[in-house]
Amino acid sequence: MSKLLNIITSGDPSVRNAAFASVCDGLTLEELLEESEALDQFRREADNLYERVRALFFLYAIHRFHLPSKLSVDRIGRIPFEGHEHLLNRRFTEAIDTFLAAVSQQGAGDSLSSALASAYHELAFQTLANQVRKSVRAVRGNQWMFRMGHPADHPLRLAPELLERAHDGTRAVLREQTPVRMDLSHSGWSDIFFLGMDFPEGARVLNVSVDLGVNGRDAEPKPPIEAYLRVIDEPVLILTSVDLKASARIDSLGEVFDFAKDYLGLLKAAVIAAGIVPPGIEGSGQKLESLLERVVGPGKGLELISSVNGIPKGSRLAVSTNLLAALIGVLMRATGQTSSLTGPLQENERRLVLARAILGEWIGGSGGGWQDSGGVWPGIKLISGQAASEGDPEMGISRGCLMPTHHVFGEDEIPASSRQALQESLVLVHGGMAQNVGPILEMVTEKYLLRSEAEWKGRTEALALLDELIATMVAGDIKALGRATTQNFRGPIQSIIPWATNLFTETLIEEAESAFGEDFWGFWMLGGMSGGGMGFIFAPERKAEAQQAMQRIMSEAKKKLQHALPFAMEPVVYDFAINAEGTSAQFLGEGGSALPEAYSRLTAELKQSAQNEEAPSGEVSGSLRRLLDEHGFDEELHESIRADLLAGTISLAGNRLPATATVEDVDQEDVLDLSSLSAGDSRFDRARAKGEAAIAAGEVAVVSLAAGAGSRWTGGAGTCKALNPFAPLDGCYRTFIETHLAKSRQVAAQGGTDLPHVFTTSYLTTQPTNDFLASVGNYGYEGPLLVSPGRSVGLRMIPTERDLRFAWEEMPQQLLDEQQQKMRDSARSALIGWAKSAREGADYTDNLPLQCLHPVGHFYEIPNLILNGTLRNLLQERPQLKTLLLHNIDTLGANVDSTILGLHRDAGHGLTFEMITRRLEDRGGGLARVDGHPRLVEGLAMPNDEAEFEISYYNSMTTWIDLDQFLQLAGLTREDILAHDEGKLAGALRSLADRLPTYLTIKDVKKRWGHGQEDVFPVTQFEKLWGDLTILPEANCGFFVVPRLRGQQLKDPAQLDGWLTDGSAAYVRGLCDWG
Amino acid sequence: MIPNKAVVTAASPTEHHLPLQTLVDSEGLAKTALEIILDDIFAAGLESVAIVIHPGTREAYLDAAGSHAERLTLIEQKGPRGYGHAVWCAREFTGGDPFVLLVSDHLYLSCEESSCVRQLLALAASHDGCVSAVNPTHESKLHLYGTIGATRVPASPSIFEVNTVIEKPTPTLAEQELIIPGLRAGNYLCFFGMHSLTSAVMEHLDTLVSKMGESGVLGLTPTLAHLAKSEKYLATELAGQRFNIGERYGLLKAQLSLALAGPHRDEVLTDLIEITAHSRPGCQSS
Repeated sequence: MSKLLNIITSGDPSVRNAAFASVCDGLTLEELLEESEALDQFRREADNLYERVRALFFLYAIHRFHLPSKLSVDRIGRIPFEGHEHLLNRRFTEAIDTFLAAVSQQGAGDSLSSALASAYHELAFQTLANQVRKSVRAVRGNQWMFRMGHPADHPLRLAPELLERAHDGTRAVLREQTPVRMDLSHSGWSDIFFLGMDFPEGARVLNVSVDLGVNGRDAEPKPPIEAYLRVIDEPVLILTSVDLKASARIDSLGEVFDFAKDYLGLLKAAVIAAGIVPPGIEGSGQKLESLLERVVGPGKGLELISSVNGIPKGSRLAVSTNLLAALIGVLMRATGQTSSLTGPLQENERRLVLARAILGEWIGGSGGGWQDSGGVWPGIKLISGQAASEGDPEMGISRGCLMPTHHVFGEDEIPASSRQALQESLVLVHGGMAQNVGPILEMVTEKYLLRSEAEWKGRTEALALLDELIATMVAGDIKALGRATTQNFRGPIQSIIPWATNLFTETLIEEAESAFGEDFWGFWMLGGMSGGGMGFIFAPERKAEAQQAMQRIMSEAKKKLQHALPFAMEPVVYDFAINAEGTSAQFLGEGGSALPEAYSRLTAELKQSAQNEEAPSGEVSGSLRRLLDEHGFDEELHESIRADLLAGTISLAGNRLPATATVEDVDQEDVLDLSSLSAGDSRFDRARAKGEAAIAAGEVAVVSLAAGAGSRWTGGAGTCKALNPFAPLDGCYRTFIETHLAKSRQVAAQGGTDLPHVFTTSYLTTQPTNDFLASVGNYGYEGPLLVSPGRSVGLRMIPTERDLRFAWEEMPQQLLDEQQQKMRDSARSALIGWAKSAREGADYTDNLPLQCLHPVGHFYEIPNLILNGTLRNLLQERPQLKTLLLHNIDTLGANVDSTILGLHRDAGHGLTFEMITRRLEDRGGGLARVDGHPRLVEGLAMPNDEAEFEISYYNSMTTWIDLDQFLQLAGLTREDILAHDEGKLAGALRSLADRLPTYLTIKDVKKRWGHGQEDVFPVTQFEKLWGDLTILPEANCGFFVVPRLRGQQLKDPAQLDGWLTDGSAAYVRGLCDWG
Repeated sequence: MIPNKAVVTAASPTEHHLPLQTLVDSEGLAKTALEIILDDIFAAGLESVAIVIHPGTREAYLDAAGSHAERLTLIEQKGPRGYGHAVWCAREFTGGDPFVLLVSDHLYLSCEESSCVRQLLALAASHDGCVSAVNPTHESKLHLYGTIGATRVPASPSIFEVNTVIEKPTPTLAEQELIIPGLRAGNYLCFFGMHSLTSAVMEHLDTLVSKMGESGVLGLTPTLAHLAKSEKYLATELAGQRFNIGERYGLLKAQLSLALAGPHRDEVLTDLIEITAHSRPGCQSS
């Protein structure tokens, strides 16, 4: 029997929990392929959901981590486009069948394995998500809402108390007040629904409900979440979020289900999940007025208001889930779905609110853990997974139930003195970082279901630590509690997910330790990751001092790292108190005066702004104008691009090569595959010797492109990717810059020389990069280290509806999960509305000035080097310089490899591009024969979606540049560089640029506002790309195929885990000398 | 246990006129709704009936009772104190005896030879405790009725042992507490408006009334819920229909059902078709 199947099906926990990787490591290629076949067969037939899902994760891991290293490098394989289309449309089983058919035709290969890995991974998560969704619908108390499809069948009636009028004619307001929750430990993210349902015994969270205030702003802590409800004399729903400063008057059912249209998605989800507008009525064509007539009364409607007292996003205190619960709670009370209108809820009612909040999160396309509604319960509680038993809808499908159980600790268990002691020692903060915890939750799920050895051990330790934490609370020993939370953070949490911490958090801990010594008792990570909400535990007599100190420490650390890490707001320190009541409601008596003051201010503001409403002026002035002037903004070019954009001469569709162009894969003779050479071959040895000599003679320099903001890395947060301390390597957090310098240091040391290293920067990164390098003393880099500031910048524009529709409707799109797709469609329709109202093609100025500018493409990086004198300086310092190695900041494996350098020189190429064999995730073009000529084709330029799947090689962007040939291409000489006649240089480079295509692109840009809130807008910008030099025959380009580890790029934090596991990190470490 | 007394409640200050309306019974005779109810009660063998009325309606009720007037005991409920209180008002009439309880704003039409009251009494005869008539009701109507949670009595498909009683539950609560296997999705067993009760009910009501304040209101549900916890309390699904003559078109529906259940069925059907054919289409309700 298959060894891996045995792990899945065994009744023996020691076998079932065996580490997948350790079994795979001992298998040969043939055995792995046999195991894959057996697992695939099994997952098609297995009835048990979790066995099926484990088989899918095993298959994913085999194709992602274990097969590639064993597959023959010359068997590339081609990914069928049909399979890719299936993936985009979430038809994962069909995609797998297509890829497997390709394997049986072509044989196993790296590309096909990457496609299979992706399809199995997606299918595993889809299967899990479907199960959660089914369970949410199957919870008793939720089911009826999916059956109700007509207002005449609406079974709910509003409580008469809310309809009665007071003496002054106003009606009573019902207010729900809800604390937030902080988790002392989530036992290694065990509250993820999938995990609780897979391993309910291990799903345990210690969770505390707290009132909150901002230190120095609020007089005292109070339940931060408030939801208000009142009856109005209009048959509409008025939804208002005081914190988001948004209000909407909704008079149709369709609008209730349009979640992303405005900032009121959460309130809409609450109205639906509370059963006021049940999910079953969506798309029924009925009228909201008829429904409200049935529930509230003829001509009447409801006004629902939310407030979170300015608690910022990313607090890791589950503010949004508890707000959803509060809104659902107040609506359920008002419609008799709880036994009392006011006061705290009973246990069965809290469970119902939890079930509805889970439903609301699903409807709203978001998702949290099952502990997140913890604020609904009072005090300190242990929330545990529950094994499915007879009568549960999950029985026979998963081992655990969707809903956990809550044990609220009484004072006989955790005495009042312990609670008091916790309050007196804990400094609760928001560090200011707002990051997406989603990728981490996926990583955890994957690791647990694979039972990865270290992570599984971590999970076991985390469970033991939870018991220890309870014991410390029982004993009131807060010092021991601090030790345990720190141990949890340092041990299990980071052994499971190293990315749960970051340089900012580490800096804070270090500073707290240094400032308070023995009186700093421990660190406490809240929620899914650190950097936002966190706890620091101090000796009680120093708490007040520590609150002040932490504010200072956080602000200083943020200032230092704000260009390297994504911060959404200034750090804050909270005051908090344990809430002993949980969610609770009160009648506020008479009308308007009962509503929060901020609400009155908001309604006045909204009225005022409605009167003054007009399109933004789009005027470029002040600091934005200064920045444009400083960074070489070409007004003339900008206006001509705008005119072309509006005339439709340039557009997203226009980026594509003509449909008549033939795009084919290159022939073997078009590339030099380095895997065909090895040490001992005369060509290899000769090349290496030549390369080594060139290095030793100081003829080479490295150019790292560090102009970018890493839009994918931080979701468009506008930080410098080069400065991002992306991962701990050899014991320290390393920035991209440090890693590249460490590789150059190693090359220089081996060559017994120094190696110049240039970082090309932009308007966004020049100053921060200079400051950062100064602050770290250039990382002690021994060779010349130069920063080449940008000399060109563009101004973003409002996109046209035509381009937005092309991007979203014509270009291949990953279809999302049903509810998320609804959210996306709704958001996109709102964004098209925004583009039209803000005037298509107008300058984008409604953001921070730096967010309005854009880099104009990496083609300009080498021209900038010439224009700003950096190349001149280099040539003056070393006239022998002949070769530049250009690479992207995220190509961590690129270095001055002597053999490749020698081969480049041997070939006599003007430009040698390094290619890697294409995997599914390598999108954005590659090497192709276009009308018979080999060249690089950008993804934007592919004539159709299918063409990219015909090509075997992906461009790593790493380029060896023969300096003289490049200068010749631009019509320049070394003498011109040294003479530095700016007019001449600029003219020559402009002529070169004019020969390359200009691409129009749509980029997402973040706009921050309020308390850590962020909006993402699509903006239009243009760019010219380096790879298009291959269009020019006189550029004399060549193409080498290099190993994947050398050429692959790190674009997204979600890649980090795989990067660490698949040998990439070890490869990079091997190239580095940290000095 | 076979009751020989019946209590009919008709004390609602706003709906006490409902049983006084005139219909044509299945035999083609013009009668008040009250008279039709009383016909069923006496035909089932019950001997005496008390009607709990709203003050000032005595004469109207005696008139509406027709030939049954002499066998009635009329009891006034002094104020709108709730359904439970109205039943309690008949405590002297019932004494320590079991009794059948009906409401006066509903008409019942059996699908069998045996009337609904008779069907209820047939089960009551074989059981020492209380029996309530119930019928499956869609969740959109739960806000109108008391609803039971129950388990089926083995080998008796239409008999249930009541575990809990909740007055006008929301479907949220009903789904959690009141689902009965075998019913269609979204349907629950709601009271039919007809019960066979023991003296324990009056005793419990007495206790509750003694605790209620001057202006308190008392429903019957707390007492029935108490019974469900304290003794074997059965419910039965009767082969019949119930018509609420207080709701929109309720009287019309009751009348049609009565007419179609008698010898004039063909005539009524013919008339209906003719009316339908010649009617002017109005605005369609959504």
